Amino acid sequence: MAAITEGHVPTIAIEGARKQRGNLTQARIRWMVLAVVLGLGLVSGRLVQLGMAETDQTIEGQTRDAITATRPPILDRNGLEMAVDIRVPSLYAEPRRIIDVEEAVRELRTVLPDLDEDWLRDRLTGDQGFVWVKRELTPAIQEAVMRLGIPGIDFITESKRFYPGMNEAAHILGSTNVDNQGIAGIERHMDTESVALLQELGLARGNALTPVELSVDMRVQHVLHEQLMDAMTRYQAVAAAGVMLDIHTGEVIALASVPDFNPNEPATALVKDTFNRITSGIFEPGSIFKTVTMAGALDSGAVAITDEFDARYGIRFGRYTIDDFHGKHRILALPEVYKYSSNIGTIRVMQAMGKDNYRAFLSRMKFDKRVEFELPEMRVPTVPDSFSEVGAATASFGHGLSVSPLHMATAYAAFVNGGNYIAPTLYKRDIAEAEALYERVLRPETSAYLRYLMRLNAISTGGSGSRMNKAAQGYRVGGKTGTAEKVVDGRYSSSKVTNFFASAFPLDNPRYTMVIMVDEPKAENAQSGTTAGWNAGTLTGRVVQRVAPMLGIAPDFSEAVDQQIVPAEVRQLYPEGF
Amino acid sequence: MIRNLNIFLLFVSVVMLAGVYALKFSIEGTASARTALATQIEDQEGQLSLLKADWAVLNQPGHIDPIIKRHQEELAIGPVQQEQFGAFTALPMRPAKPDTAAMDALFAAISEGIDPIDAILEMEVIE
Repeated sequence: MAAITEGHVPTIAIEGARKQRGNLTQARIRWMVLAVVLGLGLVSGRLVQLGMAETDQTIEGQTRDAITATRPPILDRNGLEMAVDIRVPSLYAEPRRIIDVEEAVRELRTVLPDLDEDWLRDRLTGDQGFVWVKRELTPAIQEAVMRLGIPGIDFITESKRFYPGMNEAAHILGSTNVDNQGIAGIERHMDTESVALLQELGLARGNALTPVELSVDMRVQHVLHEQLMDAMTRYQAVAAAGVMLDIHTGEVIALASVPDFNPNEPATALVKDTFNRITSGIFEPGSIFKTVTMAGALDSGAVAITDEFDARYGIRFGRYTIDDFHGKHRILALPEVYKYSSNIGTIRVMQAMGKDNYRAFLSRMKFDKRVEFELPEMRVPTVPDSFSEVGAATASFGHGLSVSPLHMATAYAAFVNGGNYIAPTLYKRDIAEAEALYERVLRPETSAYLRYLMRLNAISTGGSGSRMNKAAQGYRVGGKTGTAEKVVDGRYSSSKVTNFFASAFPLDNPRYTMVIMVDEPKAENAQSGTTAGWNAGTLTGRVVQRVAPMLGIAPDFSEAVDQQIVPAEVRQLYPEGF
Repeated sequence: MIRNLNIFLLFVSVVMLAGVYALKFSIEGTASARTALATQIEDQEGQLSLLKADWAVLNQPGHIDPIIKRHQEELAIGPVQQEQFGAFTALPMRPAKPDTAAMDALFAAISEGIDPIDAILEMEVIE
């Protein structure tokens, strides 16, 4: 601009100056453009770099999310918590940020003395970004470690499963491992069902999960568990177990097996003999299986409730003779066969039905396959595919085949509920849902006969369930004892027995069925015996006496209640009913 | 003209610069407040989970039963027995008609200043 105002000055220089300036300006613009492009390139390069960078979301091979993942709380049928999640701190270290490993090791061991010194030193040395030091600590320890102020040592909050009921429902709940995955019981089942999927999708975060409601009643569960523990000392038994079902819906009200474990310390589950005897133990059921024989024979129409059977002499099969324990050795009516638990009479009942029909009936009752149930700990029963004459005879009174107590409970539920087989469940199920799953296995009349037989066994003189009934007066309990001799060195031993008591109550309008097992009991005192009536029977009575009021069953002492379940045919023969 | 525009633009850019910085700092402040709140919530959720677990333990029948057993004798309590249950049918029927003579006697006594309840209360030393 200055050049233009100085108009007169000789020409060449002016043109040169203009050109020079013009060139200069163009050069400057080019440099500017270059600078701007470079700048922008730098910015976008950095953006791309940031976009490409993957932040490490894993902690020792697991995603951070998996560690804080929660499980839904488990509630009993009344809404009482059986399993909850608690947040606990876990100690981790970032070795690359630790300045003085020796000092860190020394100081950490003042708070956590059970950590091995060499292991810890090895753990804290190196260039890793994350290593666990100790998981699932208490807030007090967290406080103490924070106070040490070691750089590169920090806490992360994890979810930990806690079972407030401790041992009581151990076999139902199972347990979880340190990564909050179910390893046994219903926890494992929940994982296979739904929770694992939710956690995978990243939905199982926070406390928003819907609680899982079980069919178990913790009050009943507590009484059952307490009584089983009591049986362990009272009868010095090796083991004891029990299960109670709602006969109409198949819901498990209580299920316990001792010795058990504390699900809060999963390692205790590894101790020998703590397995769930109800689902994963199979036993020769002994005389409680006679009810099955009666059910099959009565339902097929091969025998009538008033028929009589010759029980005067033992039955010979080749070299063996099967006789009665404390036999009457006379002609017995069918209710007497049941009440005196006559082996001879039961074999004759089975023979009237025919062994192949009997075997077919066992299949109908699903004794030859696993019970459909949520718990993963199940064992396949051993029932021969076909029976020989002697095999069928022993099977009729519960020897020569092995089933789980849950099989027996499910069968008894069908026997007293009107003849509908319903697979047991640990989840809540209402009657309408259950009715859709019913499978008719018996005629309703047969079910009525069986109710009568079971109650008869409890109230008539000489019935094997009378000791049980004494404890549970008024609750109309009825059932069958079973004393199965154990096989020791290939022979049945009379001193080592597994005792069962299968029962149902209140029999005028049955609602619950229960199977109790006591393994290798000894006599409580000099006056008592070791047969099932003495231990499994009285145990059943004590449990019913405690739980019936909880389940809303009022006692009724009137004889009319017992009389009304006597079938008309029986009344014609025995006017007093028994 | 163009100089004024330049001055104006310079001024505006300074103001906007200041504004952006102020915004940035306030967002940083909000973010740290949010982080603090989130930590606090997480902390309290943790404590809440422990309290809930405590509550669940205290509610367990297995926890309550030993307490009851410990105080069984002192409080004279025990599991319910069958004989303790009653039924509506066991209640006596209402008398056919009210006992008017006794009622009259009672009202006469009260009007004279004698309350039969007082005698019972004194006897049982109920305050």
